[in-house]
This record gives sequence, structure tokens and C-alpha cells, in this order.
Amino acid sequence: MDHRPVSAVSILAVIVMLPFAPLAAQNAPTAGDPTDARAWQQPLTPWGDPDFQGVWRYEATIPLERPPRYEGRAFLTDEEVAEIARVEEELAANRLAGLDGAAVGRQSLEDSPIRGNEYNAFWQDHGRARQVYRQTSLIVDPADGKLPYTDDAREAAARSTARYGVGPYESYLDPDTGERCLTDGVTAMMWQGPNGGHNRIVQSPGYVTIVHEEYLDRRIIPVDGRPHGGIPQWLGESVGHWEGETLVVETTNFPDKTNYEWASIWTRTSDALHLVERFQRVGPNAMEYTITVEDPKTFTRPWTAAVPITRLADNTQIYEYACHEGNYALKNMLSAGRATAENE
Amino acid sequence: MRTDLVIGLAVIGQVLATLPVSAHHAFAAEFDANQPVKLEGTVARMEWISPHSWLHLDVAKPDGSVERWMIEGGPPNALFRRGITQESLPVGTEIIVEGFRARDGSFRANGRDITFADGSRPFVGSFSSGSP
Amino acid sequence: MQMGRPGAIAIVAAAVIAMAGIHAPRLWGQTTGYVAPRATDGRPDLNGIWQALNAANYDLQAHPARPALALMPAPPPVEPAGTGRARTGEVPVPAVRALGAVGGVPAGEGVVVGNEIPYQPWAAERKQENAEHWLERDPEVKCFLPGVPRATYMPYPFQILQGTDKILIAYEFAGATRTIHMDDVGNSPGPTWMGWSRGRWEGETLVVDVTGFNGQTWLDRAGNFHSDALHVVERYTRVSPDHLMYEATIEDPNVFTEPWEIRMPLYRRLEDGKQLLEYECVEFVEQLMYGDVGLVDPATGQRNE
Repeated sequence: MDHRPVSAVSILAVIVMLPFAPLAAQNAPTAGDPTDARAWQQPLTPWGDPDFQGVWRYEATIPLERPPRYEGRAFLTDEEVAEIARVEEELAANRLAGLDGAAVGRQSLEDSPIRGNEYNAFWQDHGRARQVYRQTSLIVDPADGKLPYTDDAREAAARSTARYGVGPYESYLDPDTGERCLTDGVTAMMWQGPNGGHNRIVQSPGYVTIVHEEYLDRRIIPVDGRPHGGIPQWLGESVGHWEGETLVVETTNFPDKTNYEWASIWTRTSDALHLVERFQRVGPNAMEYTITVEDPKTFTRPWTAAVPITRLADNTQIYEYACHEGNYALKNMLSAGRATAENE
Repeated sequence: MRTDLVIGLAVIGQVLATLPVSAHHAFAAEFDANQPVKLEGTVARMEWISPHSWLHLDVAKPDGSVERWMIEGGPPNALFRRGITQESLPVGTEIIVEGFRARDGSFRANGRDITFADGSRPFVGSFSSGSP
Repeated sequence: MQMGRPGAIAIVAAAVIAMAGIHAPRLWGQTTGYVAPRATDGRPDLNGIWQALNAANYDLQAHPARPALALMPAPPPVEPAGTGRARTGEVPVPAVRALGAVGGVPAGEGVVVGNEIPYQPWAAERKQENAEHWLERDPEVKCFLPGVPRATYMPYPFQILQGTDKILIAYEFAGATRTIHMDDVGNSPGPTWMGWSRGRWEGETLVVDVTGFNGQTWLDRAGNFHSDALHVVERYTRVSPDHLMYEATIEDPNVFTEPWEIRMPLYRRLEDGKQLLEYECVEFVEQLMYGDVGLVDPATGQRNE
């Protein structure tokens, strides 16, 4: 196990864009510890760029924002890490045995309160225990681990949470961009989505391409550091360049979609949104990914998340996600909204 | 066992509360938590599509008629990565579905819990192919 | 016309030959002697942004120009032709009439080898029906994924990105992307819109074998269609610094009596710094598909009846 020291310096290290110290805990996968960096060397593509190809996924338990019980602490204690790891192992074992998270201990449907997001866990892709890291939040800057919302955005987030599943759903404008099968945006693409959100990275000379499974979102990123153009796009315009073995991607030219419903306000696009991402592969199956989000129309200051991402087995595939073509749910939501209103 | 279970559930609650926001499912916009259903029937057709797969279920009524229900499931891609294919739930398979009925009163429900008659679940028993 | 009689006959003869679907092969199968630069694995380099420039997406077969994609018959003449007042045969349907010349269909020489699509009798009727109900049935109208080979000749560019064991073909239309598996993968676990593509090299040609379709795409705007038994074999060959030759064999035992083939050049987009741009048309069709479904119609702000 490759432990590296935890300290406040590590946090600052992230802010100054140096690699941070992931501290995989005791329940790292039994074979091929993703953080075992001892004997590993960064492979290169045939044309000499660092090779990040494969299917990647976020598989850890770190929440985006620091939960209240960890307030003031950037890192978990050993005991906390051990307990979370133990629960993860138990959940994984339950899933393997056919007892799902939604069904643990329950004798009938009535025992489980509806949270609005459940199905049998066999639809999920968490067959193995998720990884536990010492970070108490993905957000490492600001130091409180919280999204630095503007007042308007905070209000928008509260409103969005309150109306989720409740409505009103009067027209196709009311569901969020994901429910409309448009996109969930770029900001959380490397770590969000159903079951973690698979991303395939394919490299060709001059390009790094990321194909995200959900919505078939696709980012073709030129890595020659060319200047940005000016055409606004849902996924912005990304231009990358290499700094040593780190891929740095700057994305701008987003349109103002703040008047759309977004599942997560912190992923919404405004025309002031600017992203800087850093991708660094640190082991055969581990990537350290950071994203700095700047958007004066949503946040009072830039914020940075540091996300450990895992490379899956070579034979892992991305499957078609023809969301719009199969979107019965949207129609059903709208007809339900109409039926409900007409019954009142 | 019971004590462990209570603690387990509490921790699970904690863990689940810390999950990043996950897949869209505005359940309450589509389905009515006050209309639980339990349907026993046979698979007429399985649509392995996203964002939700749809299981078309023929439910025989006591009077001999057959109702065709559409049951909403999760996205199939996770199952595909575990080696499940479109052949895995053949037409004619007997299935029990517990869920909640669509708000607009149609023969539609979410497949909150899908099991075989013996209580076992389809599609379990294997890790993701992404396991190391 | 100032041309002499022999010239006029030659033109008519050529037209008759062309209409009979007899095309002399032009360059196909005859290499131009061009050897493409190598990609880093020693294979031909297909990287780049390419686009078809023809009328195939309107109609794979040879066709003259016509007023619109959706036409309706006008009242027929009651007098013998020439003895009464002028009548028109067909007019654009009301839904597309206001587009005028923007909504017209340009002529095309066709991309089908032999210009015949060998439908089974039931399927030939279905194709005709499709054409008559184009507006309601063409999946392109609803921004559904276009399938293969149609994605190749939609009027939008696409980009080939040659990775080490996967080749991506990224299409601008609807953000469709295909992964061409150059490594050994199994079959598709389920039917899809864009199919399941397995690639290999045959000399200088990338051969892509595509199966696993769901049968819901069309092959063009003329109603040409297929079932979920569709099997397409594509061939991509560099023939010049800025051209690919594209050939596709189309086979479907449920629909056609035998395999048939299409061929066309694909042209490199040469603009400096050219990138694929978004054509995220799902949003463009929401009013069409859902405007009257919910409680309120966003186009008017009023309640739906």
C-alpha cells in the first residue's frame, strides 16, 4: 500500500496544480491497486503523447461537498475510513448475494420509503466495493469544501431540489436537461452519471477524445494549444495541451443556459463559464483529475474538485445510450402532469 | 443480527446520503406512491433501451382477459457489462413486479422490485466486467 | 437549340443509357496509384474531417429534382391532356409548403451500383408507403440516430479518429459516434441504432463489418429501409490526399432478395482549424414531439386541449 503523508500542504499543492496525494484505504481492490505507483511508468502513444486510453470511471465514496459531520476537516480519521470501507464491503457482498441496497432487511415494499430513485440494484454497476479515500469532499478549494454559490444560484439550487419529482411538469421545458435527453454538461462528466458514468478515452495524433456513455456526450479535444474559436456549444469548446505528462484542458464558449432546468445547478452553463481540467495518470489504473470551475454568474469565486478516477478492464465497452430515441419517460411525465392537473 | 442490521441501515443511510447526485429519475412525476401494484405475468417483450429499459408484461386476470403492462426499469448498459444480453430474459418468462402505478392511470408502472416466483432476482450474481 | 441533329441524338442516347442505370465504373477498384501516409501503426492514415457531397441522403437512387420531400396529388384533369386548362400533378403538402425552394429536393445521379435496390415484393410496397408518409415516418425528422450507412452521407461532416485499438467515427448530426472495434470483441448485447462495428485492414482498405441494428433507421429520405437483420460491410480507402473512397454492401434477408452496394467519394474538409460543431437537434424537435403532450404548449403559453 502506498501511503503518502496527509497535510494542509497537500491541499495547497492541489491549488497550485501539483499532483495531490490520494490515500487509498484498506479496501482498495485486491488485485492491481490503482494507486500502486512504485514500478509503473507512464505509457506513451506511438506518436509520443502520454497514453490515457481506456474506459475510466469514478468509483469512490467521496461526496462533492463536505458533509456537516466533517465540518472543518479535510480528511477522515483512520476509524472513519475503516468503517466506510467495511460498509462498502458489506454492500458489495449483499449485491452479489442478490440482496440489494434497496432491499436490505426489508420484508415488503412498504418497509422501504420511496426516495424517488430506486430500482433493484442489479441495474447498477457497483458489483465491487467502492474505493475509500481520506478526502472528506471532492471540493478541495475553497477550504470549507463547499460550493461557493452566489445568492441567486443558491436560491436556484434550493428551488431545483424542492421541485425535483414534484413539478410542475407542464411542458417539455420543465424536466431538467438530462430528463430531456439533452446533456448534463461538461463539469461533472468525468465522475457523474448513472453508475458512475463511463468515459472512454481514445487518442489519435493531435487529439484526445472523450466519449461519455450517458447521452453519448462526446468531447473531441485538440491538444495543439490552438486559440479558441467563438461558437458557443453545450459542451463548450475545449483546447488542450501537454504539460509534461499532464493534459491540461481549457474549455470556454459556453452558451447561457441558466434559464433551463438543470439537475445540478453547479453543472449549469452560463456564457461566463470557464473550466480548467488537469488529467494525470498516476498508475496503471488510476488517474488524478482536477477541475477548476469559474463562473461569476453562478459562483462567487472559482472552485476546484480533485477526483480519483479508475481505469476499468481492457474489455470494458461503452454501449449505445440512445436516450432521446427511447425517452418514453418524458412523455409519461408530461401526460401525468396533465392528468394530475385535470383531476384537481 | 437485528442490531447489526439497524446499525447497517444507519450507516447505509449515511453512505447513500453522500453519493453524488445520480441518475435522473423524477419518480414522483411519473408514478404515484399511493398506488402500489404487484403484478404477476409473463414477459411479452423486453426493450433494452436507455434511459430506461421497458419490460412489456402480460398479466392474466381472473376473468381470463390479459392486460399488457409496461414496466420501467433501469438503463441496461450496466447489465451488458456483466454479460447480460438481450437473450437473458426470454419472452414467456414468468416474473413478479412490485412497483407503483403511473399517475395518468395507464397500464404502466415502475419495476421497483423484479423477482422470479421463487423470490430470486434476475441478473444478479456477477461482478461488473470492470473488476480488476 | 443550336446543336446539329447528331449532337442532339448523342445527348438523348446518353440520357437513355444513364436512366437505364448503366454506369461505367469511374475509378472504383482501379487504384490511382496513390499511397496514403502511414498512421503510426503502419496502416493508412484515415484521420481527418470528411464529408459526402451528393444527394444520397435525399434518395440513394438516381432521381430528378422535385418541389418538396412531401407532395400531395392535386385534382386530376377531366379533359384529355392538351384540350383543357392547365393542371398540376402534385403540390407540396401544407406542412412544408412555406419553405419554397429551400424545401426542394435536388437531383442526383444515385449512388447505388446498378441503380436498383432489390426489394422483396412486400418490401417494395412498404418503401413506397414510406415515401408517401415521409414526414411522419422518417426518423431523421425526429433527430433519431441515423444508423449506418446513412450517417456517412448526411449533409454534415464527420471525423475519423484513429486510436490504437479503437477507431472512432464522430458524426456532427445529433452527436452520433461509432466505435469501430479493431480488437476482438464479442457480439452486441442488444440492438442499437448505430449498430456494432468490427473493423480490420485489408491492405490499404479499412473494412468495417456492422451488425446488431434495431431496424428502426432509414437509409435515406426516400423511404428506403431495412430490418434488424441488416448487415453492412463498409470499405474506406484513401485515393488522394483529400479523398476517401467509400463503398458499402447492404444485406438484409428480411427485406432484400440479394445484397447490393453503394459507392461514393468522401471529401476532406480543408478549412484551417476545422472542427466538428454541435448539431444537437434533440432540442430542436421538442416542440414538434411534445408541444401538445403536456398541460401547456410552450409555443402559445396556453393549455393544450
